Amino acid sequence: MIDFGIYGAQEPRIFAYRCPQCHTAYYPPPMLCAKCSNRRDPSGIVYDDWEKFPLEGACKLLTWTRVWALPEGYDQPYLLFGMVEFPNGLRASGRLEVESPHLGMELIAWVAESSERPGHPVNIFLFSEAAARPLPTNLRCD
Amino acid sequence: MAIEDLERILGAPQMPLQPYPAKVITLANGKEMVVREAKKEEVGVLLGTVYPLVGVAKDFYDVVAARMYEELLAWYRNRIANMFAIVGVIDGTIAGIVTSRQVHEKLGMSLHTLAIDRGLRVGAHLFAAKMENHIDVLGAGEVWIVAESPIGYKRWMLEYELEDRSSLYPEVRHELSGVPTHSLTRALWEKHRANKCTGLRPAPAHLLATAAKLKMPNRYPQIPGFKREQWQRASA
Amino acid sequence: MAARVGIAATGQIKFGNLSEYDLVDIMAYAATEAMEDGGIVEKHSIIDQVIVANMGGGIINHQTGIASSLVSRLNLEPASAELVENGPASGASAVKVGWMAIASGLADVVLVVGGETMRKVTGWAATDFVATLLHPEAEYNMGLTLPAFGAMFTRLYMERYGLTERDLALIAVKDHENGAKNKFAHVEETCTIEAIHDNANAHVVNNYVAEPLRLYSVCPVSDGAAAVILVNMDSPKAQQFRKPPIRIAGIGSATDTHCVHNRKDPLALAAVRVSAERAYAMAGLRPADISFAELHDAFVTLEMAISEEVGLFPRGKAVDAVRRGDTRIDGCLPISPSGGLKAKGHPVGATGVSQVVELVRQLRGEAEPGRQVKDPRYGMAVNFGGFANNVVTIICARE
Repeated sequence: MIDFGIYGAQEPRIFAYRCPQCHTAYYPPPMLCAKCSNRRDPSGIVYDDWEKFPLEGACKLLTWTRVWALPEGYDQPYLLFGMVEFPNGLRASGRLEVESPHLGMELIAWVAESSERPGHPVNIFLFSEAAARPLPTNLRCD
Repeated sequence: MAIEDLERILGAPQMPLQPYPAKVITLANGKEMVVREAKKEEVGVLLGTVYPLVGVAKDFYDVVAARMYEELLAWYRNRIANMFAIVGVIDGTIAGIVTSRQVHEKLGMSLHTLAIDRGLRVGAHLFAAKMENHIDVLGAGEVWIVAESPIGYKRWMLEYELEDRSSLYPEVRHELSGVPTHSLTRALWEKHRANKCTGLRPAPAHLLATAAKLKMPNRYPQIPGFKREQWQRASA
Repeated sequence: MAARVGIAATGQIKFGNLSEYDLVDIMAYAATEAMEDGGIVEKHSIIDQVIVANMGGGIINHQTGIASSLVSRLNLEPASAELVENGPASGASAVKVGWMAIASGLADVVLVVGGETMRKVTGWAATDFVATLLHPEAEYNMGLTLPAFGAMFTRLYMERYGLTERDLALIAVKDHENGAKNKFAHVEETCTIEAIHDNANAHVVNNYVAEPLRLYSVCPVSDGAAAVILVNMDSPKAQQFRKPPIRIAGIGSATDTHCVHNRKDPLALAAVRVSAERAYAMAGLRPADISFAELHDAFVTLEMAISEEVGLFPRGKAVDAVRRGDTRIDGCLPISPSGGLKAKGHPVGATGVSQVVELVRQLRGEAEPGRQVKDPRYGMAVNFGGFANNVVTIICARE
């Protein structure tokens, strides 16, 4: 059986995982559920892999910073980063696309592809105020 | 052609340049650094300050010092047009020197930045003073910038968001070896000035007085065991 | 019953820019300084186990198997040798493993050396290297760095406890006052509160690194090495050393979630608390017994947060202690008498070992004048392995 659905426009996504036994959600996923000790098998061969769901949408800003000393691979004078909490209780860290953030502000979490890290492109969180998807102007598209 | 006529050609025509108003920056260690324009008659002390670093093969000190030595000498001998030098002075001793020249009313050409004192961001403050002079005092619309050290250059590129003119090479090239260049425009300077450029003006008279007679450093972090007497014959 | 383990000798290199030197050479130099301190240079074969602490050997120096390399640099064959890597807590973890080697009876004399050469690469590359300890997908890939997490933590701490940027600057002034007197410190200059905070220049002179942390709120990037020689205090080999050993009274270590966002309370440093509880329990001590502390102040906020978590001050009250001057060298509870990571520097693999070097120097009364803690009895060191997710606490005692 071939899943032809995999050949199409790929929206970048970041996934949270849910333990099939006790339904606890995790981001990022462990190999063993902390609550019920259910094991995870990413290959899906020995056990079914855990259910995954995209982490995105409405979230609240817990804390943030504007970083002027960036690591190798970034060509901007500064970038903002934030830590957010989703309504389902999961939290995440990522890039903040808001010029004047304040603690507790309501944001939208998006995912974009970034080539800034060495090696293959990776998916990163962008947190913004806009309802429309922000243009990832800071991201190199190699 | 008479030799005197040739001197008029070789001795570069000089634009009248507004003087740079002196200021004082309180460095992190509490010391006051007087930032002022140097005078041609002070070139001897400046040359003596720069010269020992010609022997430091690390971190491009040798080429920066050699080139700045040449600029200062050419300035003294009237063989470079519209140049200025700004010094940072702590307790009367030179902590850093920057050189630059105004190409015409609208364009500055940044030459070199040499910091002797380390760990106090002397180089960063003097580089900003150089840009302040070109854009705020002399009215340039932009300043072309290049550097010998890739690390130093990358810092300026990132911190000032310099405009990349390297795609316009070779029509647009920096005077330092005719290489591709980046530019600090007035708009970029206005965006970054508040975070980069500081100082108390007018400089208090008592502090200006301490910087009236420049002294060569007796200590170079780049040259362990440096002894001033071995480096000069004439007194400062 | 576990053997009593003490520190018989210490050695260190002045931290700073040592990028022209070889990593293993500088570690070996610190080791020979320790041998000199212990009077065993000619008897160095007394060492039967070498433990090396280093984080960046593979990434920065393109070297692995560093412990084996160091053994030959010191002609210590056939001593056993291993590398311990626990991020920036490699040093304290190496001391812990050395303790375990002696306490278990596997060795009697253990050389522990920590070293790092971070300045062989650019600052951007060094920032990236340290960031590799973060979660690869959920943190590193986003471009996050340790200063970014330090800054986010500081913002919350400011909001909850009323910490101000001026308080951060006060700690830096204190640290540099101590560091300027420490012959091993990276930064020799002091700083003034006016210059880095109060006056009109200060926002440029003390520029933001990761808001609200400024240049004088974060430690420098340093090269360096430090060494201690641990000894079974009840073995005849202990008598071969010039000075009586300083006993390791307690060691504790603990972990917390790898991802910072998964901490229950983003301001709680649970791994610090548990590691300290374990160390206190082993030592039979309480926070009130501690005379001075070296706390992992990669960002000066951590000096306060850690001091609260280990019980030296009530939660949220460390900032009052700072404002009163309690943590100054002449205060009731000196913190970072060495200058801390802030002024002494932070060559990541060396830091934990150099914290223990400082504990010993202080307990022996060997610190430089002007930064010697008055009559110390117990010293505590806390070393972080990540952003507070792997912490080792060591308590030393002057018997």
